[in-house]
Amino acid sequence: MPDGEGGRLVAGPRSGPALGDLISSVALGDERAYEAFYDQSSGWVLGTVRRVLRDPAQAEEVMQEVLLEIWRSASRFDPAQGSAVSWVMTIAHRRAVDRVRSERSHANREQRAATAVIDYDDVTEAVEASLDRERVQRCLGSLTELQRECVGLAYYSGYTYREVAELLGVPAGTVKTRMRDGLIRLRDCLGVA
Amino acid sequence: MMTAEYDLHALAGPYAMDAVSDEESASFTEHLAGCEQCRDDVREMREATARLGIAAAVRPRPELREQTIRAALSTAQLAPVVSAARDSRTCLMADEKKEKPLRRLAWRIRSARPAVRISLAAAAVLAVAAAVLGGMTSSAVRQLDHSRHQEHMIAAVLNAPDKVMLTARVVTGGTATVVMSHEARAAVFTAHDLVALPSTESYEIWLMGPTGERAAGMVRPQAGGMAGPTIVSGLRPGDMIGVTVEPAGGSSRPTSVIVVVFKPGQ
Repeated sequence: MPDGEGGRLVAGPRSGPALGDLISSVALGDERAYEAFYDQSSGWVLGTVRRVLRDPAQAEEVMQEVLLEIWRSASRFDPAQGSAVSWVMTIAHRRAVDRVRSERSHANREQRAATAVIDYDDVTEAVEASLDRERVQRCLGSLTELQRECVGLAYYSGYTYREVAELLGVPAGTVKTRMRDGLIRLRDCLGVA
Repeated sequence: MMTAEYDLHALAGPYAMDAVSDEESASFTEHLAGCEQCRDDVREMREATARLGIAAAVRPRPELREQTIRAALSTAQLAPVVSAARDSRTCLMADEKKEKPLRRLAWRIRSARPAVRISLAAAAVLAVAAAVLGGMTSSAVRQLDHSRHQEHMIAAVLNAPDKVMLTARVVTGGTATVVMSHEARAAVFTAHDLVALPSTESYEIWLMGPTGERAAGMVRPQAGGMAGPTIVSGLRPGDMIGVTVEPAGGSSRPTSVIVVVFKPGQ
């Protein structure tokens, strides 16, 4: 693994071999492609999962599950349905959310609410600053406060919109539309449509 | 009704972030099937949320790399879905419908890597395939008894050190598997769940090389859509193996859409 490429971990899909091409090769059992895929995306997956789960050991476990799932189902990636990055991150986020919800169903909701943190601007243990991260932060900053809280609690903390409504003391309908509007604004700001 | 519709549309945001209950997720997924706008919305929102994830990237501990890769290599992979096309013959009759599956096939062929290495996972699957092929010698291969040569060829391929196994979904239905060896200059073709064809038609195997296609045998599915094992001889480096639907007597050139294609290792 070329060590000097750490910066790639937070780079967008434009750098390195195209992720979609790697996934197509992984679908055919190509070991080298999988290694390259790991090098390009493991940091993204771990970062996402860890933001949701918070527990580093569990996050590593889920990261491995996600990467295995991608090895297993690489043949199901369909570029017509969205980018490779989006496919990978959707799987990662889904897994993290599944895990955190099964944990929370056993936990005290009140206590969780008290410790819910919206730290969109506090990206802990980041690999290094990058243009992509700055851009994401700038775009998050362009949302209204409520939009940002709704998006942050859903994406980074894995709450459902109903839970977010409870946590913020806002009607569920309002949260739904703030999430939608927030994501649309984010999409336009990031230029990823 | 308007309200219910509107409520569903508004779920696009929460849905894109997995911020819905399982029940809501199921009903919105159903709604997506008939709402192109919603599909576009969700797709675009997920492009945005993916960047939220990327912005949170952290470097995994180096030990995890080998662990993860090793675990993957010993895990079986889902077979490729070659195309969404249901019926190649319908596609041939309707030009505008024909284009899409062909393009998708072309994409698949392009994206196929020339050298498919046998991973641990593939080796395990190969052992299963060999067992299946072996198990068939008693019944199915008895019908091939007239050709001892075939059996020898099959054994030669399955025992070749450079054998490679590939499995792919057949566009018209079913799954096909080839085990190929350049040392044996041959491949063994098997398939299951093939769609039955009218008596006037048959599946035909082709070796597709740089200089054109060579007919490599007809495949007639038995009960349950099982076919083979059939030996495909005369394999040359760089050949792809394809299957088309042809008139029962066979054709000298492929005349229909390729329903499944394999690109062997070099």
